[in-house]
Amino acid sequence: MPLNIMSGKPLPGKLFAALVVLLLSSISPSLSQLHAAESVALVKEVSAELDLAATKAIFDSHSACFVDARSEYVYYKSHIKGAISLSDSRFDEQFPDFKQKKAIETLIVVYCTESSCGKARRVARKLMKNGYRNVRVYTGGLIEWAHAGFPMEG
Amino acid sequence: MTRIGFQSALITTLRLLLGAFFIMSGYEKLLDLKFFGLIIAEYQILPSFLIPAVALLFSLCELLCGTMLLINLFSRFSSSVMLCMMVIFIAAMINNVMRGLEHDCGCLKFLSQWYGLKEEIGIVPIVRDILFFILLLPIALLGSNRIPWKKDQK
Repeated sequence: MPLNIMSGKPLPGKLFAALVVLLLSSISPSLSQLHAAESVALVKEVSAELDLAATKAIFDSHSACFVDARSEYVYYKSHIKGAISLSDSRFDEQFPDFKQKKAIETLIVVYCTESSCGKARRVARKLMKNGYRNVRVYTGGLIEWAHAGFPMEG
Repeated sequence: MTRIGFQSALITTLRLLLGAFFIMSGYEKLLDLKFFGLIIAEYQILPSFLIPAVALLFSLCELLCGTMLLINLFSRFSSSVMLCMMVIFIAAMINNVMRGLEHDCGCLKFLSQWYGLKEEIGIVPIVRDILFFILLLPIALLGSNRIPWKKDQK
């Protein structure tokens, strides 16, 4: 039973609950700021986003691993030449194989269908959570790439 | 007499229509089993090692049952097998819709290729499979299991 600091008598339950709520509310803004700072940092890392020209330059330099975040059956039909499938929907099943093939420091360019498609960003986030730090998102996606007439296969 | 004639005509019509439909559906799946397997994987119901076998089994079932319906060979048995498959398809799609997954249903690729119809899981393919279920029922209940080229033994 909580005690009244001043008098040593037990505090009524409601008053104790109110004190707990007050204490938590004083802490929570600082906690939420911490969470916000963390998510902003994550967004900043993931938001290392690439446009078509930058992606093509990286593609031509053969310095990166291209990752297709769409479903495997769509990847099977067509994808950027040399890209690897690591779908958002079956990431957990595909990731162990990917991890064996690609070193942690590899530059990875993730893409999906188009800019409104969130799969590339989600896969990029998952990769970063699994230790890959050099992850970029190609926002234009496969539609922009195909319209530009750049190499595809599938 | 008239009633028997109508019943026979109804079952024959349903047999021919559904038989042709399942032959096309099974044939196109057999042509690209890997693609069909990848779509089954997207349902996230079966373990990976079972997927190739299930893809082959479903495709063969559709093709064989369709053929048997078309030539009226064990049509009751064939339609019962197809009924079971419809129940599996409907249950799998409802399961995925409820889990919020979005992907191709893997039902009838030729419809999407020829008529530009989208074949993503959702209410339309579920209702269509329920319709197939209803259309298969009369054959399963009232059709025959006879072998057409064998004379009836009296």
